[in-house]
Amino acid sequence: MKRIVIILSAALIGIAGAARAQAPTDVHIDLSKSGSRIRIHCESLTPAGAANARSWALQADEVLSNDLDWSAVFDVSRSWVTGQSVEGAAAIVGGKLTVQGDDLRLEGQVRDVPGGRPIMAKEYRGKLRDWRDLVHRFSDDIVLQFSGEPGVARTKIVFSSHSGRNKELYIMDWDGANRRALTQDGSIAISPAFSPDGSLVLFTSYRGGAGPRVFVLKVEGGKPFLVSGRPGINTSASYSPDGREIVCTLSMDGNSEVYVLDAKGGSPRRLTTQRSIDTSPTWSPTGREVAFTSDRAGAPQVYVMDREGGNARRLTYEVGYTDSPAWSPKGDRIAFVARTGNGFDIYVCRADGSDTRLVVSGGSNENPHWSPDGRHLVFSSDRGSGVGLYVTDLDGRQPRRLETGGMSASSPAWSPRPAESGRFLNSNPTNSALGGRP
Amino acid sequence: MTSKNLWTRLWIMPLMLSLASVGCAKKTPEPTPAPPVAQAPTPTPPPPAPAPTDTTTTPALIGSGDFQPAFFDLDSYTLRDDARAALDRDAKLLRDNPTVNVTIEGHCDERGTVEYNQSLGERRAQAARDYLVAAGIPEARLQIVTYGKDRPFATGHDEASWQQNRRAHFTVR
Repeated sequence: MKRIVIILSAALIGIAGAARAQAPTDVHIDLSKSGSRIRIHCESLTPAGAANARSWALQADEVLSNDLDWSAVFDVSRSWVTGQSVEGAAAIVGGKLTVQGDDLRLEGQVRDVPGGRPIMAKEYRGKLRDWRDLVHRFSDDIVLQFSGEPGVARTKIVFSSHSGRNKELYIMDWDGANRRALTQDGSIAISPAFSPDGSLVLFTSYRGGAGPRVFVLKVEGGKPFLVSGRPGINTSASYSPDGREIVCTLSMDGNSEVYVLDAKGGSPRRLTTQRSIDTSPTWSPTGREVAFTSDRAGAPQVYVMDREGGNARRLTYEVGYTDSPAWSPKGDRIAFVARTGNGFDIYVCRADGSDTRLVVSGGSNENPHWSPDGRHLVFSSDRGSGVGLYVTDLDGRQPRRLETGGMSASSPAWSPRPAESGRFLNSNPTNSALGGRP
Repeated sequence: MTSKNLWTRLWIMPLMLSLASVGCAKKTPEPTPAPPVAQAPTPTPPPPAPAPTDTTTTPALIGSGDFQPAFFDLDSYTLRDDARAALDRDAKLLRDNPTVNVTIEGHCDERGTVEYNQSLGERRAQAARDYLVAAGIPEARLQIVTYGKDRPFATGHDEASWQQNRRAHFTVR
């Protein structure tokens, strides 16, 4: 996998209380191999304030240690679990959790081992009801401190869950908490995709008794607005990285082709002109290229073309029957599925098609989608009981199942980090800004 | 004969009687040897819904279950011999019932991705539609929609179920 060398310079850490004369110590950590995570030890947070602070601290311990473990940066041991010790850890995470009325204060600390010198100290204040978000912030800051890039513990995942003959969209935190329904249409809602600021979800729906059409709704929920309801198929839509365009599949010209629309669904521009099926488009993070699936040469294969539709070339020759491309947020990799006998395995290759690697197999694994830091892929799989969502950290660890409360789950999409919000789209759009009509 | 088909005939029978009395019925279906019909209490008013007051439209006397689906091979939208035979019968049914319009649904088994199967399902529905149009059925009577793998007829994970799900399926509009 990607070679990430992390340089931690103690001189840059700048903890006021640690300003004693320390020789700057560079820590080089190579994450290129399985098992090369940073060993970190979680101590129980010390409760303070209200009498029930201890029960809040216990819950926060679980959320924080899971966040760190699932970040793929750390290998976590827990002081409250028998048999797990601080031995071998590079750092200790701890702190104090104060509950006063509806208010919460988390004083997070990270110390090095064995010296016990403070590496990081940060305070988070908020309402008790937002306790998970405060803990996620601390975790993301720890990941930033050690890897140079914030974690993704405050991201969300949207997915499709079937109920009888129908499918509805749901949204939840990255750890499965705060799950709620996004659609209640009594129809088929599939293929969701977040807007680049995370405020909107594009999706395909059969609502209204029609065929597949593209709609958009706010992540808070509410009424979906029609984006493309042209004759035939309207599906597989996603916003361009700058949020100004939508790439999607339409069959209004008689067969499935890849089109680019403006952000409100107008001005269709056709990118593919083959008599074959062309579908499942995904933008490169620069917006200059589009990966898609085509059966122009027989079995479906992933291709890459430029944003005007030219220069289409097959991505990889190493695997037959490939589909569902997903371009990594850093642009260096493309994930895709390849059909086995009766299901799909997930592969990752470089954007130029080289270095193709099998990353998930066993059962049928579909719809891979990258986390915004490019360290994880979420996908759906029937490997366990029913069809559920799983996350692979791409480092050799077994994929972990996301908690969906016993519901089936497929078609996952990973939100951007909330810090990226408001960059180009109104973070609280009016209905008119959504475009289309109800 | 499916149970749904039989059920359809059971409630159509009293409807037929009432229509015959006002002279609207154009065609008598083949005799159905269905003992329960004889026990149907004739004084009961017929089901109200399918009989519109608008005399310009004739109620559909055939249901979705009277049409035969066209089945397909894996990853294919080519019409097999059995699919052509089924569509020949469907074409006759449509010719004999010129007021009946249908939606042809394209379906796929689970062994493709959601998006690709949507496109493949549309191809299957188009193949069935094009065959019927070639057989003289006006295209305006034939709508198509694809469900990909999202509305399977059989939920098993074996070839028997998959074959059931690779089809162009008719529903009367």
